[in-house]
Amino acid sequence: MADTSKSRPVNEPEDDASSSGSDSYEELRHLILAPEQEALERLHERINNPDLRTEDVSGVVAEAIERRRELGGSDALSDALAPTIETALRESVRKDPSTLADALFPVMGPAIRRSILETLRSFLDSFNQILDQSLSWQGLKWRMEALRTGRSFTEVALLHSLVFRVEQVFLIHKKTGLPIAHAVATAVAMQDPSLVSGMLSAIQDFVRDSFHTGQGQGVNRMNVGDLDVWVENGPYAILAVVIRGIAPRSLRQRMDETLEKIHADYAEQLASYEGDSAPFTNVHQELTECLEAKFKEETRPGGYGYALAAGAILLVLVGGWLGWRSWQYYRWSQLAETLGNQPGLAITSFGREHGHFEIRGLRDPLAADPNKIVADSGLDPAKAEFHWGAYYALDDTLIEQRAIAALAPPPGVRLAVKDGVLHVDGNPSAKWLADVRSRGLLIPGIRSLDLGQFTPEQIAFNEARARIQAVVIRFPVASSELSSAERVNLRNIMPVFKEMMSFPVPAHATMSIEVVGHSDNTGAESLNENLSQRRADRITLQLVQFGIPVVALHAKGVATAEPVRPEVNEENRQYNRSTTFRILVPAASQP
Amino acid sequence: MIQKKICMLGSFAVGKTSLVRRFVESIFSDKYLTTVGVKIDKKVVRVNAVEANLVLWDLYGDDDFQKIRWTHFRGAAGYLLVADGTRRATFEKAILLEERARAEIGPVPFVFVSNKCDLTAEWEFDSTIEAQIAAKGWATLRTSAKTGEGVDEAFAKLAGKMLG
Repeated sequence: MADTSKSRPVNEPEDDASSSGSDSYEELRHLILAPEQEALERLHERINNPDLRTEDVSGVVAEAIERRRELGGSDALSDALAPTIETALRESVRKDPSTLADALFPVMGPAIRRSILETLRSFLDSFNQILDQSLSWQGLKWRMEALRTGRSFTEVALLHSLVFRVEQVFLIHKKTGLPIAHAVATAVAMQDPSLVSGMLSAIQDFVRDSFHTGQGQGVNRMNVGDLDVWVENGPYAILAVVIRGIAPRSLRQRMDETLEKIHADYAEQLASYEGDSAPFTNVHQELTECLEAKFKEETRPGGYGYALAAGAILLVLVGGWLGWRSWQYYRWSQLAETLGNQPGLAITSFGREHGHFEIRGLRDPLAADPNKIVADSGLDPAKAEFHWGAYYALDDTLIEQRAIAALAPPPGVRLAVKDGVLHVDGNPSAKWLADVRSRGLLIPGIRSLDLGQFTPEQIAFNEARARIQAVVIRFPVASSELSSAERVNLRNIMPVFKEMMSFPVPAHATMSIEVVGHSDNTGAESLNENLSQRRADRITLQLVQFGIPVVALHAKGVATAEPVRPEVNEENRQYNRSTTFRILVPAASQP
Repeated sequence: MIQKKICMLGSFAVGKTSLVRRFVESIFSDKYLTTVGVKIDKKVVRVNAVEANLVLWDLYGDDDFQKIRWTHFRGAAGYLLVADGTRRATFEKAILLEERARAEIGPVPFVFVSNKCDLTAEWEFDSTIEAQIAAKGWATLRTSAKTGEGVDEAFAKLAGKMLG
């Protein structure tokens, strides 16, 4: 301002000049600066006045959002708007739920309807399936399995229903019907994916047009024979799977998830798809996974294992039982045969009745005890029931036993039966032989008697021999002196000697008389031998003196080797200080 | 590989299906046309050393009795606009169809073909029509589904426009 006053012209009056100059300056200033000033003021007003600013923004907000979307990065915009929109929606519902309900009604209706339809269809599917299966052979099989495993029939049936195979998976671009990606199971005959995709989407369009359904709806299931085509509709793409067999409803859910994931991961690529599948190479992997995850073996391993094991055990048990039974039968039949082979036992019938073996037959009273034979064979006699009829068996052994029981042969006499002929051996008395002659043929089984060798002479010879052999000539202790008493005894027996030797029995020709000297068992054995020999010699000499031919005599000292009586007392010992006689007839010349 | 959906568009009996049959080996029967309203074929072509899979949607119609299912037209990357050179009316119809197509899916490449060029004696597309076509700036070709003349070129030209 100082500069201004200085530059003021001097010729102009102070006040006037000052006022008029000031006015013109103001005017000039006004002329020059007024528009800017006003603009500035308006701007100021605009910035400070919220009403005006709101009006300004409202004019461009729609274009701004549009522009932002075009520039890309719409995510940031969505992120920015989301919280506000969410709050707004909440607030709107809080204030008046009917507004939003009305707005959503056209969307909710179809969504709910579709959800209910899905559920109902799934329920009906499984219900029909179960009904089918419960009346079939397979159903019976599953019922058995349910019984065996303790699970419900429905569970078992459903488990078996999951037999299916996803053969192909198509991801189809909704707008163009072009296949974005395609996965196929191994060894599946297929048409060109682009044609199938095209037709699938054409059919979708066709159905939508024909029945005037909404854009989001369409065919979601096609069924041809045992092939099922399931279709899931997304905003940009369609997921279609070709299934052979009966797939579970969970596959639908999996399709949903896969389609959602693809839409989330490839939102922009899907929106701008123009036939180039290059950005979707990784989708193929997801489709393949979907494909592989849906393979399922028809039968669970071990499903029949238990049945087989049970069957095998049953078979083994039944087989074992039958085998054991047959083995038992075999053993008992063997036993019956053994019994039948026994003398005096005859088996007439053998069989099994009520778990017991019944053996019928005939039994000789003298036959072996069948129960003992059973016990010896290791079988349980309680398992058998015997029914015996009594009879006389004609086996030689039994006839022999019968004869022995009836005739009671004295010691030194043996009986034998051969082919029904009774043979007698030894030195029977005439009296006993008479008994045999009178009763022998009455014994069952004895057809004839063989007593030919027992002539009256032979019997007399035998009796004489027996008498002589019973004689004991005793000696004093340690002596071979023959006492007069014993000499008398010896002389008394001499007639018997002579009678015996006079019998015209062929054997006599070679008969020899052994004079056996004995000693008691006191003293040394060498002395006893000598003593016994002397005693034998003494008697031999005496016999020669009595007239017995010396050639027929043999003296033999046996010392203590053949005691006449066991030396348990003095009397018996006395008998061993003795000489005895043994009449020997060579076997060859025996009658 | 690039895939493109292309449609055959044209009046009834102008030879769309015959052109497709000339161009590819079909797997679907023509019966589909009357039932679903479309028959689909495919052909792999090479354009400037790029292989492309053309999926051909042969749309049924359009005459007074059978309307084209325009939903099938959706998503087409290009189309052959087919007229019958022996019937002038099919050219007028083609003009209408082109307008309708543009309204349906926006401006997409197409090639206008005058089919049945083997029937020279009955040819009706005179200089007036040719002038109109030229005025519209349409890419155009004469074809004969009967002799095969221009068929491959027509598809190649369309592919070139779509991929170029």
